[in-house]
Amino acid sequence: MSGKNSREARREERLRAESESEQGERRKRLLQLGSAAVFVVVAVVLVLIVISANKTNGGDTNLEDVSLVKNQLQGVPQSGMALGDPRAKVTLFEFGDLQCPVCKGFSEEIIPGVIDSKVRSGEAKIEFRNYTIISQESVPAGAAAIAAGKQGLGWTFIELFYRNQGPEDSGYVTDEFLTEIARGAGVPDIAKWNKDRKSSATLAEVKRTTEEAEELEFTGTPSFAVEGPGTKGLETLGTPGSSGALEESIAAAA
Amino acid sequence: MSAPSEGTLRRIATFVATFGIGVATYIAIADSGGGSPVCIAGGGGCETVANSTYSHLLGVNIAVFGIVGYVLLLIASLLRGDVARMAGFGISLAGFGYSVYLTYLELFKIEAICQWCVASAVLMTTLFCLNAIRMVGYVGKPA
Repeated sequence: MSGKNSREARREERLRAESESEQGERRKRLLQLGSAAVFVVVAVVLVLIVISANKTNGGDTNLEDVSLVKNQLQGVPQSGMALGDPRAKVTLFEFGDLQCPVCKGFSEEIIPGVIDSKVRSGEAKIEFRNYTIISQESVPAGAAAIAAGKQGLGWTFIELFYRNQGPEDSGYVTDEFLTEIARGAGVPDIAKWNKDRKSSATLAEVKRTTEEAEELEFTGTPSFAVEGPGTKGLETLGTPGSSGALEESIAAAA
Repeated sequence: MSAPSEGTLRRIATFVATFGIGVATYIAIADSGGGSPVCIAGGGGCETVANSTYSHLLGVNIAVFGIVGYVLLLIASLLRGDVARMAGFGISLAGFGYSVYLTYLELFKIEAICQWCVASAVLMTTLFCLNAIRMVGYVGKPA
């Protein structure tokens, strides 16, 4: 009898040891799996950070210079496609094409000087008008800017577009790209913006300003015109090569 | 010092995940209305982050992915056993990793801080710690 009990006890002891061993093995495997997962996630996060850090301009899906543009325009009123105090006596008109690299250069190097010296002070406002000469892609781009203007962010949209401009007529002006620019500009109602940019009235406005530029006999972008108490209606300026030249024209028109 | 009991870890994780669902849902609702979350301390960081291109992944606001993650973590905290332990660890690890990436984006790419995103990152980090302790301390052991 005691021999049978002893065998039972040994058997239970063996089974318990086997179970504990299996449990230990299973635990070891799961912990190894967990460690591997940590390694994979660390690697993925590092890769994502490196990719983000190396993103550059040029039609990228991740926008550049959002903060720069917002800081540049901070405190300057916007209304429709105009930047500056709506009561300003002088209006400087820029006829531009959002795909135009020269316009991008003006936006980065010449216009900021005019904004700081003449627009912030309330002396003049700048109004952007589409003159779509690069390709058909310029039309939806211009319409998108007008639609952003209906929500008070036309100029932010234009500046941000220029900062993220891709190669001319390369197909980068997609709905996705335009939406990213609108989001980056801070357009609050994207659904309304989408509806506005595709409306026949907005597209007609792009066409109308392009025809206006042709009537003014402009041959390239950007082209400028000025209107104020010192001018006889709209006076064309062509493409002045510096902030100073534009500032002088504004002063003369005042 | 001994690790907290698994029951305690699960209870805390349940509470934190529920709170996370609330935060992520608020961000998603604010975005769906065409706006952005309101930064309680002001500063406009929430608006800047919400309007950035990084706020959406495949056209979906990332807060929606956050809601899904927190719901899965809530379920994992309510269940016993190794599957729940490993799932809780894996999901919170992925959430923590993505939170690190988003915090990097806020600091160095968007250059704005959204308090609601920071709150979510803190909650996800807490959940990762809880699930890591649960996994290391109890995986492979009877529930």
